[in-house]
Parts: sequence; C-alpha cells; structure tokens
Amino acid sequence: MPDTSLPVTPAQPVRFRGGGFTVRTHRWAALLAFAVLIAVWESTNRFGLVSPLFLPPPSAVAKALGAMVADGSLWQHLKASLMRIGVGWAMGTVCGMAVGFAMGIGSVARAVGVPLVSAFFPIPKIALLPLFILWFGIGEPSKFATIGFGVFFPTVIATYSAIDSVPRNLIRMAQSFGLPWASILRKIVLPGALPGILAGFRITASIALILVVAAEMIGAEYGIGAFVLTAGNLMLTDQLLAGVLVLSLLGLAIGTVLSILERRLLKWR
Amino acid sequence: MTVVRWGRRTVLGVMGAAALALSAAPAFAQSLEKTSIGVLALASSGPIFIAKSKGYFEKEGLDVDLKMFTSAQQVPVAVASGDVDFGVTGLTAGFYNLAAKGAVTMIAAQSRDEPGFELSAYVAANTAFAAGLKKPADLKGKRIAITTVGSTFHYMLGLLGQKYGFTVKDLTMVPLQDVPKMTAAFKGGQVDAIVAPVTVARQMVADGAGTIIGWVGDETPWQLGALFTGPKTIAQRRPTVEKFIRAYQTALAEYHAAFNTKDASGAIVKGPGYDSLLAIIAEATKQKPEVVAAGLPYVDPQGKLLIDDVVNQVKFWQAEGQVDKALDAKSIMDLSFVK
Repeated sequence: MPDTSLPVTPAQPVRFRGGGFTVRTHRWAALLAFAVLIAVWESTNRFGLVSPLFLPPPSAVAKALGAMVADGSLWQHLKASLMRIGVGWAMGTVCGMAVGFAMGIGSVARAVGVPLVSAFFPIPKIALLPLFILWFGIGEPSKFATIGFGVFFPTVIATYSAIDSVPRNLIRMAQSFGLPWASILRKIVLPGALPGILAGFRITASIALILVVAAEMIGAEYGIGAFVLTAGNLMLTDQLLAGVLVLSLLGLAIGTVLSILERRLLKWR
Repeated sequence: MTVVRWGRRTVLGVMGAAALALSAAPAFAQSLEKTSIGVLALASSGPIFIAKSKGYFEKEGLDVDLKMFTSAQQVPVAVASGDVDFGVTGLTAGFYNLAAKGAVTMIAAQSRDEPGFELSAYVAANTAFAAGLKKPADLKGKRIAITTVGSTFHYMLGLLGQKYGFTVKDLTMVPLQDVPKMTAAFKGGQVDAIVAPVTVARQMVADGAGTIIGWVGDETPWQLGALFTGPKTIAQRRPTVEKFIRAYQTALAEYHAAFNTKDASGAIVKGPGYDSLLAIIAEATKQKPEVVAAGLPYVDPQGKLLIDDVVNQVKFWQAEGQVDKALDAKSIMDLSFVK
C-alpha cells in the first residue's frame, strides 16, 4: 500500500518556471518571414492580381539589380553615395558631439544651446536645398552639408541627454574622493554616456541614409539617391525598388557595424 | 466656466460627427455624367479651364472635376491608377514608359513650342554670355541645369543638338529636380545656361541674372504636351471621350483666336474675348493676369498632335536608353478623336 502522507515525500525537482519572456534567438523565423513575404509578393504578379506597373514582382526587381551589377553602375552609385554619407555623417557627428558635450557639461552652453537646437532641428533640410545651392554650390559640399545638418541636431540631443543620464551619485562619489575634473570626465562621464551616444548613432546613420536621397537631388550624376530619383521620374518602377532595396541593405549593414561597435565599446557593462 | 475635456467619448463623438458630415455631402440632382481630369495650375492648361468655366463640358452632358497636381510627373500616374479619367500635361520619358506599359494613350494636343511664340527660353548666365554664349548653337559643351533626366528640358536640349549636330553627351546636364533649384544654381553662377519657361526666364532677366539668347519655338518647334486617357476609358466609355474632346476643341478654338492671332507683320495681337478668357485662366492658375499674359503658349485650334515630333521624341528616349526599345510611337496615340 502506497504511503500517502504528504510531509514525508522526498524533495521533488521543481520545474523552472521563470523563463516565460526570455528572448531566444530564432534565426530561421526572420528568414522564413522574408521568404513567405517574397513568395506572396511574387505570386500576386504571377496570378495577375496586381499589375507589374504598380508593384513590380521581386523577380523583376532582382533582374534590375542584376543589370546594375552586370554593367558596374551599382558600384559607381554606391561609391558616390557612401562617400557622401561617410563625410556628411562624420562632419555632423563630430560637430554634434562637440556641441552636445559642451551642453552636457557647461550650464551656460546648455542655456544657449537647448532653445537653438529646438528652433533649428525641425527645419526640413529639403526646404533649404535652394539656399544650400547658393551657399555651397552644386558640387559635393552642398551634399555633405545636407547630410551633415541632418545628422548634427540629433547627435547634439543624444549626446547631451546621454551625459545628463550618467548617474549623479557616481560623479558625486568621484568628487568626494577628490578625483580631478578631467579624470571624472574620462573615467565616469564618457563611458557612462557612451550607450546613449551609440544609440544616437543608430538614429543618425538612418537619417544620413534618408538624406542622401535629398542631397542627391542637387545635380548628382551618380549615387543611389540619384538613381532612385531618376527611376522614379522615368516611371521605371522595378529600378526604383531595386534602388530602395540597396538603400535598405545599406541600412542593415550599417546597423550590423554599429552592433559590433556597441559590443566592443560597452564591454564594461 | 465649461472646460471641454478631451476624453475618449468626446474624441469619438467628434469623429462620428465628422464622418456624418462627410457622408452627407451634397448629392447631385442633375444627370450629368461624372468624369475628371488631372491638370497643372499653368497657363498651358488654359483651354481646359475655359471649357470648364464657360460650361462647354456641361453642354456636352459632362460634369468634369478638375484635379490640380503640382508636377507633370503625377498626372499620367493618376490616369494609370484610375484616380482621374483624363490628364493634360507635358510629355516626358516617364510618360512614354507608362504609355509603353499600356497605361495611357494620347488623344489630342496640348500646347507646343511654335515659331514666333514665346514658351520655352534658352537663358545664358551673365559670365557665360560675356564669354561668348550668344546664340542657342553655342550651348554645345556648356553646363546646363535641367529639372530631371527624362524631362521636357532634356528633350529640348536633345532636339537642339539634332539641329546643330551635337548630342546631349556633348553637354553637361545638371539635374536639379525642380525650377526653384534650377533658378538657385543659375543665379549662384553654378551653371552656364538653363532652358526655362517664359515666366521664369523673364524674371531672371528682370533680376539681372541672365540674358535670353533664343526661343525653343523658333529653333525647334515641338509638341510639348498632350491630352491623354487610359486605353480602358477609350474602350469602355468612347462616347464620353468624344464629348470631352468636342468641348475641349470648342475651348481650344476660342483660346487660339484670342491669344494666338498674329497681324500682317507677325506680331501677336489680342483676339476676340481676350480679357475675359485671360481672367478665367488667371483665376484658375491663381496668378495675376499680366503674369499669365506673358506666358500664354500656342495651341493647335483643333488639338492636332505634331505626330512626327511625337515619333521623334520616342526615338530620342529610346536612343538615350530611357524608354523600352520595343515601343512603337504610333501605338500610343489614338488619332480617331481629332480629325
């Protein structure tokens, strides 16, 4: 006869029940979603549900992209755009971080800077293009300026709010231990602000990609943005989507690079 | 004191009231057939404004809704998507690509560059003019601002090249997307010349930024714009298209008589109804009558297309690699309406 008295049952292993919302990696899920999306998209065209003029099938987009690779124009466009994005983003980021640091540390700089940033940030850069042409001409400088201006303000905001969010008690502790000012800046403020600044980079990198299309409205012969604009003007919708695809792949690549950078720089966490 | 609190109920109530107001839009009692046309608010669409304002469409039993667009590119797209039944605008490579895919068909002419009529100008910047850019043939090898690759400006330069034995590859075309940016580049000394609509060209001369060195109409007359519709509309609503064209032709003839009459010496004189028609176009384009009067293009009184030029346009874009080589120009014009 089995013993049913509860208190003496041997210790049972308890199943771990706390992992409900733990993020697990599902590499295949994202790929499958893409595959299904592309299959549905292709089939709408194959079965004649959507005219290829309104939504070219993925096969047509792939063919347009293939033609760009084959005649080498893709590299020409990519080279021109990457140079503009690189220089424009770097200029905007360096200036933005300098101003953001000044605003994060100095109270006078902040009092001056916050209203100025609020006033200038919402100006659509595309509306300023005719002025940029007058100020910087139609060569590369006006394109760098368009991207640089767009990147500058979000960088300022990201930098100074990142510095703002560095734990006060860490700074106070360092001060009470008599650490010199420069040392506090280098050892506490900078690393503490880095996650916020890097998050800002993610946003500004995307802004740079968006603005390269606007920048290449100004007399650009080559560039992914110029290619997309021309395809749109010529109503070549398959080429248009091929250009957009290249832009989003570029965004993906930049995002990956930033993830690696985050992992390296934020090891201390 | 009452304070409106924007709670969920208030917001839903306002949204509901708005939806009711919209759905109760006036229902038309008349039995006019509804149709629509996409136009730009430019003098080149003048005959359409006249036909609408003077009731020529209604006389044919049509209630035509004018939908205003801001760029020539959007109009054929709206016809292709079925948002409007007709469209009237300039002919670009983008238009021919839509036509090649069977989305639009030309049925009558809009304005054109004609000798003696000032519509599109070659304007030289001051420095380039001083350096010897005195006539259109000198544009070879110069830096010229255009709106976009595949635009009417692109074709006008190609056409000029055909006349003087050069190609667009002998020029540096600087695409700047729109006229304000072209103007900025021109005034900033970034380009040697531009091809500009008459009103813009006159403004630049008035600002002292450049000199008009010739008119496209005198150098290379060409079919700048056309009236078009979808092949489906022609197949399914042929009587509607016929009525529309009849009203359009009445307005074209009136426009032509008022604005395109020349005296014995070749100077343009005011024809019958000049002032009243000018007032109609000025109101529709929201511009001052004197500004409109300076840029009234030539139209064919019957709306006949310059067929040879349309064929040449298609060939030009095909040679430039911007329009499908398989496109036959004759297949995108339906000449059965305008005889």
